[in-house]
Amino acid sequence: MDPATTTAPMQNDCEAESSSVWSWWPSWRPTSMSLLKTTESKILACIQNDLWSRFVTLPNRDRIWTLTLTNNAVRKSAEKAPKTPLVMVHGFGGGVGLWIRNIDALSRSRPVYAFDLLGFGRSSRPPFPSDAAQAEEQFVNSIEQWRQSVGLENMILLGHSLGGYLATSYAIQYPSRVSHLILVDPWGFPERPQPQTQEGQGQGSEVVKRPPLPRWVKVIAAVVSLFNPLAVIRAAGPWGPGLVNRFRPDFKMKFEELFDDDTMTQYIYHCNAQTPSGEVGFRAMTESLGWAKRPMLERVHQLPPSMPLTMLYGARSWVDSSSGERVVQIRDQANTKLLLIDDASHHVYADQPVEFNKVVENICNSVN
Amino acid sequence: MFPLDSPWNISFAGCGFLGIYHVGVASCLLEQAPFLVQNARHIYGASAGALTATALVTGVCLGEAGAGIIDVAKEARKRFLGPMHPSFNLVKIMRHMLRRTLPADCHYEANGRLGISLTRVTDGENVLVSHFNNKEEVVQACVCSAYIPVYCGLIPPTLQGVRYVDGGISDNLPQYELKNTITVSPFSGESDICPRDTSTNIHELRFTNTSIQFTLTNLYRVSRALFPPDPMIMKGMCKQGYKDALHFLNRNGLLNFNGPHRDRPLLANGEENEDYIDDEEQENNSDEEEEKTDVEEGAVMVLCSSSIEEHIIEHLPHTLHKALIEACMERRSLTQSLSNLFPVRMASAMMLPYTLPLESAMSMTLRLLEWLPDLQEDVGWMHEQILKILLHVLRQASKSISQHVSARFCFQLELHHYQSLPSRISSTSLLSNWVNESSSSVLDVFMRLDQYKRQLLSGGLCFNMDLQGSFKAQQVSPDKSPSSVLSPEGLTMDRVCLDILPAAVSEETISSS
Repeated sequence: MDPATTTAPMQNDCEAESSSVWSWWPSWRPTSMSLLKTTESKILACIQNDLWSRFVTLPNRDRIWTLTLTNNAVRKSAEKAPKTPLVMVHGFGGGVGLWIRNIDALSRSRPVYAFDLLGFGRSSRPPFPSDAAQAEEQFVNSIEQWRQSVGLENMILLGHSLGGYLATSYAIQYPSRVSHLILVDPWGFPERPQPQTQEGQGQGSEVVKRPPLPRWVKVIAAVVSLFNPLAVIRAAGPWGPGLVNRFRPDFKMKFEELFDDDTMTQYIYHCNAQTPSGEVGFRAMTESLGWAKRPMLERVHQLPPSMPLTMLYGARSWVDSSSGERVVQIRDQANTKLLLIDDASHHVYADQPVEFNKVVENICNSVN
Repeated sequence: MFPLDSPWNISFAGCGFLGIYHVGVASCLLEQAPFLVQNARHIYGASAGALTATALVTGVCLGEAGAGIIDVAKEARKRFLGPMHPSFNLVKIMRHMLRRTLPADCHYEANGRLGISLTRVTDGENVLVSHFNNKEEVVQACVCSAYIPVYCGLIPPTLQGVRYVDGGISDNLPQYELKNTITVSPFSGESDICPRDTSTNIHELRFTNTSIQFTLTNLYRVSRALFPPDPMIMKGMCKQGYKDALHFLNRNGLLNFNGPHRDRPLLANGEENEDYIDDEEQENNSDEEEEKTDVEEGAVMVLCSSSIEEHIIEHLPHTLHKALIEACMERRSLTQSLSNLFPVRMASAMMLPYTLPLESAMSMTLRLLEWLPDLQEDVGWMHEQILKILLHVLRQASKSISQHVSARFCFQLELHHYQSLPSRISSTSLLSNWVNESSSSVLDVFMRLDQYKRQLLSGGLCFNMDLQGSFKAQQVSPDKSPSSVLSPEGLTMDRVCLDILPAAVSEETISSS
């Protein structure tokens, strides 16, 4: 249970990984798994409850970086009726470190699991197929195999952004394992609007809203979509960390109470400057800059009607909560809830941690 | 629900010609929730946002402001190269417009309430100006805030004796981090009032605090910020702003909320029209308000509210609508329609290499003439800047040269030292020789100094000195004590040697010690 002992052999693994033929060559990108590890440990040092961090090895030898948080006092008192654990799945380009303002508070009443998705953060970075369905399958399989390896019977599954999409997909395939599905600003729900349908609706305002885009914009979009989404920060090499700092200062702001330096932006950088893998999977699942190829709204009815579902949206987020309303319409109304969190952007959990933790805690308590 | 119990601010993002969006937003705020504007503690703005902020604070008719922006855009579009054409003087047009529209006592209202984001030229830091002594300073602050270097000109304007450029470079959305700031941005992203693109792209940029989602429409918008689109599209943007602001008010339950002090809407003309629209809206809205709090009813609520928006959008504020329509109307004279014909346009494009220099020369002379009053000050500033740059370059160069010098000295002396080991004679013993028998070797020292100088300049010839050293060594009888070869002594002797070269002394002592 001691994080120090469990992480010690792991460090050797990191170094073993990086020792290839080219290891003597000075890297263009100032990043490595061990740098990511150092930055992450700086973040995780804020945790006060019992933290157990380790790699969970899947049957196909992929390793998933997993955090388990438990509260000593609670574990003793509630031994008779163990509480359903909460499993948190991060979004695109993130990692377990982003939950730092939430996991500690949430683990007071029940065990909390957080893991780096396959191909993100410190988990293995295998190649992904370029087919949307297969890529999604690989993500979902890794979650299921992870659950088997960790030995969870059922869980409260919470997913943010891309994690929300995958969590939904997982819940459709393995409904018996999910006691409650919480989606925080989930990505990939709405269908891509077809040009014909727009004409069919033919309202004046619709035309006003979207001036016809000139051809060069489409050309740029076509060129951009040839690359992995975050190729820029890798290509920038030594300037990459500065780029993240310059264009995502909000991450620094959000975690200002915990770190007054660039820890968070560095963490984001090191998470994403490594060999792209999850990114490739994500790209396989998207089309024309960010639309899901297999939108969830088409499939959300496959969720068992009895499965409770809560959708949390940031009021200021660019993710349109109207898709949440559509879900409410599609599904059984009694088991579906939609909540807006005020003054929160896409990263709801970091913008309004207190509010977010309270809401999630309430949901968890409704399970058991 | 937007918290109204504590003071709040409104912040307008910089966005070039998309500033027309802000006009739409501002008119909606004034019309639907005037208390929100009147009781706001500060109204901030950067670049184009500063213009709308100024208009809001000083109570200028927004229709006029919107028409002004469209006029400027039309002016910019008139020419072949658009706003890059030399005869298009944005600063002059803007200054003229501001002077015309702003009331003479606007600085009283602006003082302390209006915050304009500027970037100081000397250190690149952001400055929020909120104290104005007269109208001219308000105008100048707006000009400074919108002064995009190179695009608008090369010599930054001054405000209260300090040179500033575009506020968007350092902080495009002032005070956005305060919880109670209503942020307005024409780029789809995470601002409070911004267009909502139907896109699910996960990537988002923060351009000096303005959240910009990575979507195609935003890409288009960014390109249109400096190269204005068709007036009709700009009018559409204005409408979009109105709609988004309405959506914001509706979402936060401010739509039919009567503020504590609702005495006098700032929009001077056309007040009656707006009031009647306002009342109508209030009736329509009152039944939705109850459902607002209940999240379960979200779907129903949004459906209703969108129909309301459709309804309202037909009634853009009357004055604004009229002003925009008028501004959009092309006064099509015969010559203009003729010049729009394809062959004529082709011909003018082909003539461009000939006409452009002429026009440039014309506008340059015009600008020079206009520049005359400021000439002395600006030339002084340029002189200062050039001096600063020169000094900087000089300092850098001298630093690097002295580093080279010290490095090379080290290297050479060491090389000399080791190479002379076999012959058991060192430069140090040579030097001591010289020092002792100064009469004969003063000439040699000078020769050597000359040699150093030449080596420094030419950069090669590292072994020159050595040759000379060994040459010397042959001359001097090799019966000197071999103990002088030891390095500590050698080092001290180096210093002796370098004392003769006062220029490099300090560097050398550092590197050798």
